[in-house]
Amino acid sequence: MARPTRSRIGWLIGCAVLLALAVLLSLAVGSRQIAPSVVIQALLHGGTSNDAEVVRSLRVPRTVIGVLAGAALAVAGTVMQGITRNPIAEPGILGVSQGASAGVVCAIAFFGVHTLTGYVWFAFAGAALAAVAVQLVAAGGHRGASPVKLALAGAAMNAFLASLVSGIATTNAHALDEFRFWQVGSISGRGTDVIARIWPFVLAGLLLAGLLAKGLDALALGDDAARGLGHDVARLRVLGAVGATVLTGAAVAAVGPIAFTGLAVPHLARALVGAAHRWVLPVAALLGPVMILLSDVIGRIVFPPSEVPVAVMTALLGVPFLIVLVRRRTVVAS
Amino acid sequence: MNRTTTGGTSTAAPALGARAGVRPAGYAVVRAGRASFLVHRRAVAVAALLAVLLAVAVVLSLCIGETFTSPVQVVDVLLGRPSPDEFVVGTLRLPRLVVGLLAGTAFGVAGALVQTVARNPLASPDVIGVTHGAGAATVAAMSFGLVAHTTLPYVSVAGGLGAALLVYAFAWRGGMQASRFVLIGIGVSIALGSLTQLFLTKGDYLVAQQAKVWLTGSLNSRGYDQAAPLALVLLVAVPAALWAARAQRGASFDDDTAIALGIRLDRVRLGLALLGVVLASVATGATGPVDFVALLAPQIARRLTRTAQIPLLSSALTGALVVVVADLLARRLFSPVELPVGVLTAAVGAPYLMWLIARTRSRSGGSSS
Repeated sequence: MARPTRSRIGWLIGCAVLLALAVLLSLAVGSRQIAPSVVIQALLHGGTSNDAEVVRSLRVPRTVIGVLAGAALAVAGTVMQGITRNPIAEPGILGVSQGASAGVVCAIAFFGVHTLTGYVWFAFAGAALAAVAVQLVAAGGHRGASPVKLALAGAAMNAFLASLVSGIATTNAHALDEFRFWQVGSISGRGTDVIARIWPFVLAGLLLAGLLAKGLDALALGDDAARGLGHDVARLRVLGAVGATVLTGAAVAAVGPIAFTGLAVPHLARALVGAAHRWVLPVAALLGPVMILLSDVIGRIVFPPSEVPVAVMTALLGVPFLIVLVRRRTVVAS
Repeated sequence: MNRTTTGGTSTAAPALGARAGVRPAGYAVVRAGRASFLVHRRAVAVAALLAVLLAVAVVLSLCIGETFTSPVQVVDVLLGRPSPDEFVVGTLRLPRLVVGLLAGTAFGVAGALVQTVARNPLASPDVIGVTHGAGAATVAAMSFGLVAHTTLPYVSVAGGLGAALLVYAFAWRGGMQASRFVLIGIGVSIALGSLTQLFLTKGDYLVAQQAKVWLTGSLNSRGYDQAAPLALVLLVAVPAALWAARAQRGASFDDDTAIALGIRLDRVRLGLALLGVVLASVATGATGPVDFVALLAPQIARRLTRTAQIPLLSSALTGALVVVVADLLARRLFSPVELPVGVLTAAVGAPYLMWLIARTRSRSGGSSS
């Protein structure tokens, strides 16, 4: 599937342009419609008009959070699909996001941790625990981790953690208010402080994923081939899992569990630029934010004045993708 | 309606009176006039044991609450004798218990039927989207104010059936493959869960609160209003289930064997699956999604009876037992706070599902195609 580098660069630029458009839309559309020219004016020259205030204090943080979370989740999905060699691996479906969210809930309810800097570590721990548990469950039996078993194990993990969270919420009323908004992922109402605390983790995770690109390509050929090419397969998997966990944990700590971005985007990216990870990873990092921002914009305009959380919209957009994938490919042989 | 012979055991049945030696191991013959049946001894014993356990659980569940009522009083109330505890037991605890019993029974039978058709222990109404479909339809009807409260059960059934059809249509690709069916079921479940959230956002605040309580799968403040449609459907389902018990045996063979035996497989499967989906949807309409009961009950029942097929009666009893006991625990575990019963069944059922997956061998990994 060798593709000319020129067309790949073309797609990369195309995705960047798409992202710029999505950012502009996210800044302009809402319960208060602001013309794109005014948005650009407010960004470049400041100003004290109401519109400029809305753009700078509300919509800019929201958009930046969306970009960070989108890039993190999409790259996490790509890496997970790479290390499990499983086309439906994704933080949401495998219960990793829900694990991170359960970690946050436990931190608030039992450990009295109330700052994002504190509970992001709990999110990492929860994500890692859930990922390992699901992988262990799915790898049991003599056929190894097939897509069906992974998805089922993930669904079971999701149900279990959801009941855990719901149980804590019911019995721990004062904590309920604080984490109610995690149960459904949303990128609204997060301030600039969240951005300041989350970006180093996202950056670290993205860099780690980028370093692994070559190894992931080799892994796609099979464990033996990767070993033959001189890669340490076990170390590759562990590093990949760490990267995916950090990215997922950071995204969930900031915005709550958002599913399907990590599933749809990598497949889309592969369709555009082929299977080589040094191309797939950057394209996914550009398209992930596009999906989150567009979902968020749609969520703002379907039922005005109320806003539909972004996680709801990504799931509705992502499920048809899963269905097409399951129908088209022969991935299902279990 | 389906008079085809179903498998080796029952073809031998009419001749058994003469040649008792042919009787399969573990079965006994029961004669009633000119009719005779083969009965699995262990299955009967298990069903009897489950019935006794269920009776104990029922009495316990009526005894235990904020105040303790003695079992003697409870039995008095149940038999209609005058009693000082009439209000607490008869008015507060009994309706809730009745809903739990009926819903548990319905979930148990539904799970047994669907698992038989899919020939896969992992397929259950809650995995393949039925409960989520019923949930989404009900919440939509609530938040758009489309229907009166009395018609809500019909909406749930329509939603459950719609979701099942959708999954079936998406998973059909020149044939049915169990693993594709399950994967698409999971996807559709997630989508319907999101749709439910969407409708919650749309509805006004009060309706959303109401719908949220319903969505957690709780028996709290459920009464005879919810029990009535459920009881009606179960009444209709009993004859259907009797037919199902016969047809079920045929449907649990692999395709080639069943067709060779002259079973009209597609029709049997469709009937069984339809019955299962309707039962699960009605139960969901009454209690909200009480997850994993439909998955757990048939599996527990089959492990107890050690039969090749999933036993319907024992599944029904197990389902009822699970819901009644889970509700009792959910009420008392963190008192005075009451957990929704769905939280408890999910906390027990999800690890069990994972255990099932972990020990899946090639036999049940969705090998049908």
